[in-house]
Amino acid sequence: MSIVQISGLKKYFDAVRAVDGVDLAIDQGEFLVILGPSGCGKTTLMRMIAGLEKPTAGQIEIGGEDVTELPPRKRGVSMVFQSYALYPHMNVFNNIAFPLRAQRRELKFDKRQIREKVVNTARLLEIDMLLDRRPRQLSGGQRQRVAIARAMVTQPAVLLLDEPLSNLDAKLRANARDELRDFQRSSNITAVFVTHDQIEAMGLGDRIVVMSEGKIQQIGSPQRIYDDPANEFVATFLGSPSMNILSADRFRFGFRPEHFLPKTLHDNPENSRIFHYYVKRVEYLGSDRLVYGYVRGHDKDLTLAKVPSNVRVSLDIEGDYEFAVHYRDIKFFDLESGRRIEQQNLAKVR
Amino acid sequence: MFRLAYPLDNRRFVGLIFLSPALLYIVLLVGFPFLLAIAFGFSDVTVGDTNLNFVGLQNYLAVWENDIFRQVFETTIRFTLVSQVFILIFANILAVIFTQNFTGKWFARFIFILPWATPVSLAMIGWLWMLDTKYSPIDYLLLQTGFLGPNGILSNNRNLFWLATPDLSQISVIFVQVWRMTPLATVILMAGLSSIPTDILDQAEVDGARFMRALLQIKLPLILPIMVIALLFSMITMFGDMTVVYVLTRGGPVDYTRVLGLYSFQVGIEGGNLAQGAAISLFAFPLLLAMAIFMLRTASRAEVQ
Repeated sequence: MSIVQISGLKKYFDAVRAVDGVDLAIDQGEFLVILGPSGCGKTTLMRMIAGLEKPTAGQIEIGGEDVTELPPRKRGVSMVFQSYALYPHMNVFNNIAFPLRAQRRELKFDKRQIREKVVNTARLLEIDMLLDRRPRQLSGGQRQRVAIARAMVTQPAVLLLDEPLSNLDAKLRANARDELRDFQRSSNITAVFVTHDQIEAMGLGDRIVVMSEGKIQQIGSPQRIYDDPANEFVATFLGSPSMNILSADRFRFGFRPEHFLPKTLHDNPENSRIFHYYVKRVEYLGSDRLVYGYVRGHDKDLTLAKVPSNVRVSLDIEGDYEFAVHYRDIKFFDLESGRRIEQQNLAKVR
Repeated sequence: MFRLAYPLDNRRFVGLIFLSPALLYIVLLVGFPFLLAIAFGFSDVTVGDTNLNFVGLQNYLAVWENDIFRQVFETTIRFTLVSQVFILIFANILAVIFTQNFTGKWFARFIFILPWATPVSLAMIGWLWMLDTKYSPIDYLLLQTGFLGPNGILSNNRNLFWLATPDLSQISVIFVQVWRMTPLATVILMAGLSSIPTDILDQAEVDGARFMRALLQIKLPLILPIMVIALLFSMITMFGDMTVVYVLTRGGPVDYTRVLGLYSFQVGIEGGNLAQGAAISLFAFPLLLAMAIFMLRTASRAEVQ
C-alpha cells in the first residue's frame, strides 16, 4: 500500500524547471532513495513532500489525504537536514522535545508524556546519556542521532532525510549507514532518503529513484537499476568507473568495465562479443587492475576494463588483446533519446 | 639603493600603514580630547583663565553636591532606559516585518531608514516645527478632529504645548529619540535575523512551529547576542547625546529635559567653567565603561556555535 502518492508534480523557479512532472508512489515501510547529481531536483522534490516548497503544479497525497496545500505540521512528516539543523541554544532534551511541544494542538501530550517520549526515543538511539548537552558539545555522529531522534519522536508517517550522512567522515559513514538501515527496519517507518552518492543509494535503498533534470529517469531496486538501466543516463550515472559507451551507426551501446574481460576468461566465448582491445595504460588498484585502452573501430571512445587482480593474465602496455563481453551484458541505447533498445537489435552491431 | 618594494614586503610595516588612519583618528579625535577632559576635570581651568592648576577632586565634589546635576543625571538615565525599551520592542517588530517577503519591501525599508540617515540637527529642526507650541501641525490635526479646542477631549486649550509642560516635554524628547534610534537597531537586528541558517528555520517549520513559537523560541534566542550589541550601540549613543534636547528644549521647561551631555556643554562651554564641564561629562564615563564591558561579556557568552 502506498503511503505517499505524488502525481504530476512540478516546481519552476522562474525559468528553471527544478522538478518537471514527477509521478511517484512510496510504499508503507519502504526505504526509498532519491538519487541524482546536484541540481537534478531531488532536494526540491523532498522539500515539496515536506511542505517547505509550494508546487507549481501537481498533487501530493500522504496517507490518502491531499496535503498539497497543507503546511508541514499538518502532513505527518518529519525531516533530517544535511546540516542536522539542531537548535544550538537548546540542550538535546529540548531539541528532541521541540516538535512534540510545537505540535501540542495536534498531538496533545502532557508534560509527563513528552518527557517519557523524549527519553524513550533517546534510548532507542543510544543518546539518553546526552540529554543535558548542547549540540556544540556533541560529535558529528551524536548530532546525527539527535537529529534522527527529533524527527522520530512524533512517530511521523514519513521520515525525510536530506543527505544526512554527508557531514560524517568516511569511517563513521559506513557505520551510520548500517545503523540507519537497522533502525528503519526495526521501527518500520517509511523513509525517503535523498543523496547524490550512489554507494549510499545502492546500500540503503529498497528502491532507488534516479533523477536528472527534474525528471525521474528510472525507479527500481538497486540491482534492477544497475543491471537493467532504462536509459543511457542511468547506465552511466551508476557504477564506478562508469559504463563504457561506444557509438554505432544507428545507436550507441555500452558495457560495464567489470564485464569487459580478456577472452580467455570467458567460459563460453561463443556467447560473447569479441573486441580487439589496445591497452594504453594499466592501474593496479589492489583487488583489481583498471585497464585504459581503445576498442578497434572506436578509437575516440576511451574504454575501460576492470580485471580482477587474482586472474593471471598479463596485460602489457601498448599490447593488442582479444577482450570479450557476454551478450547479455551489452546494453543498447537510442542515438537521440538515449533510451534503452532491447536485445533483439543485437544482430545489427557491427 | 632604496626600493619601495622592500618595506612593502614587510608585514609589520604594511600593517602599520593600513592601521594608521584608524590610529590617527583614535589618538587625535578620541584619545587626546579624552585625556584633556581628565586633565581639565582635576584643574580650575575656565574660559577666562586657561592655566591648569591641580585642585584634586574639588570639581567632582562640587558637581556631586549640586542638586541640578543629580536631577540631570537621573533624567539622563531615565530617558536612556525608557527609550531603550521602546527601541527594542519596535526594532524587533520592524526587523521581523522587514525580513518577510512583501511587495514594496524595498521602498518601505528605504523610507524607514531615513530618520537615521538624516543629519540629527536637521531632523531636530523638523521636529521643532512639528512640536511647536503655537503652530504644531499635530495640534492642528487634533483641533480639527475635536480632540483640542473648546470642549475638546484632550484639553480645552487650542494647543497641547508639546515641549513646554513637564510631562509632555519629556515624552516628546523620548519619542523623538526612539524615532531617531530605532532604524539603526532594526538594521542590526535584520542582519541578525538573516544570518540564522535557513535549515534551522525550515526545521522549525517541519517540526510544526507556528510563527510566534518560531520567533520566540528560535529566532529571538539566536539573535540575542546581536540584540545586545544593538542595545549597547543605542544606549551609549543616547547617553552621551545632547543634540536632540539642545535643539528641541535647551533642557527646559526648568530642568525637566536637561541631560548630561547638554548640561556639561552648558556649564563648560556656555558658562565658561571648563573644569566643571569636564567633570560633569566624566561622571558618565565609568557608567558607560561598565555598561560596555557587561554587555560585551554577555554577548560573547551567549554566542552560539
